[in-house]
Amino acid sequence: MLQSAEARADAPRSELRRGVASSGPVLLGTIPYALVLGAQATQKGLSALELSTMTGLNFAGGSEFAAIQLWTSPPHILLIVAVTFLVNSRHLLMGAALAPFLRDLPRRKAFPALFFLCDESWALGLADARRRAADGTVPAFSLPYYMGASLAVYATWVGFTTLGALLGPVLGDVEAYGFDMAFPAVFLVLMRGMWTGMAAARPWLVSLVVAALVYLFVPGAWYVAAGAASGLFAAWLMASDA
Amino acid sequence: MIDATIVLTIALMAGVTYLTRIGGYIVLRNRPLGVRATAVMAAAPGCVLISVIAPAFVSSHPADLIALAITLIAATRLSMLPTVLIGVFAAGLLRHLIG
Repeated sequence: MLQSAEARADAPRSELRRGVASSGPVLLGTIPYALVLGAQATQKGLSALELSTMTGLNFAGGSEFAAIQLWTSPPHILLIVAVTFLVNSRHLLMGAALAPFLRDLPRRKAFPALFFLCDESWALGLADARRRAADGTVPAFSLPYYMGASLAVYATWVGFTTLGALLGPVLGDVEAYGFDMAFPAVFLVLMRGMWTGMAAARPWLVSLVVAALVYLFVPGAWYVAAGAASGLFAAWLMASDA
Repeated sequence: MIDATIVLTIALMAGVTYLTRIGGYIVLRNRPLGVRATAVMAAAPGCVLISVIAPAFVSSHPADLIALAITLIAATRLSMLPTVLIGVFAAGLLRHLIG
C-alpha cells in the first residue's frame, strides 16, 4: 500500500509533527486541570518554582493532585511518596503493554523515552503502534511520533501548572469559591476512566468506607494508607472468585 | 525560594514515579503477571484516589455533601472540564446559600 510505503520512509520531523497534532484534543482537557493544580499548590504554601519542579520532574498529574491534597508544611514525606507510587503503579502495566513494541529500540533511547510515559502519550503511542503493525509498517512503534505527543503534553502540563501557581495568589482563598471541589471532581472523572464494571470497583468501595471511618476516628493522615491497603487486600481476596 | 524538605519530597516522588515508568518495561515484558497481582495492580490507582478524597464523603456540612453528590453525578456522564466547573460552582453556591 502507498500509505505504508510512505510511512516506512517517514522523516522523523514529520512523525514528530504528527505526534504533536494528534495530542491536540487531549491538551485542551489538560489545561484547566493544570491551572487548578497550580492554584491549589500555592494555597498549600508551595512556590511556583517548587511546583514547576514537581510537575517537571514527576510529570504524573494524578499523583501530583494527591500529593497537593495531602501536602502540609513540612510535608509528610513517606505518606506522599507512598501515595505517589501507588497512584502511578498503573505505569507498570502500561510499560509492560508497550514493551513488545520497544524491543527493537536501543535501551539508551527507551529509558529517556519512558520518562515521558503518561496516560495520554501511552494511549496515543500504543494505538499508533498497533495500527502500524496491522498495516505492516516497520517499525510499528514510531519513536518520533510518541515523542511528539509526549513533549506536547509535557510542555502543556508544566507550563500551565506553573501559570496556575503564578495566578493562585491573585485568586486568593480558592476554598471560598468552592475550588476545593475540583479535587473530588478530577479524581471521580479519573476513576470513571478506570471503570470496568461493578465487580472490579468493589475494592474501591472497601477503600472508601475504611478511609472514611479511619478519617473520622483516627487523628492524622492514616486514612489514606488504611483505605488503600484495605482496598488492595480486598482486590487480592476477590481475584480468586474470578 | 526552595525548601530542603520540599526538594527531598519532590525528588523522591520523581524517583518512584520514574521507577513505575521503567519497571513494567524491564520486569514484566516477557513475564505475564499472575491473576491476583493483575487484579491488585488494576485496582490500586482507584483505591488510592478514593481514599484521598474519602473525607469529603463524611463532611459535616450539608452544603458540601450535596455539592459532592452533584459532582459525582456529573462525573459519571461528563468529561473533565464540565465536571470540575459544575462541582466548583455547586460547592461555591451551596456554601453561600446553606453555609
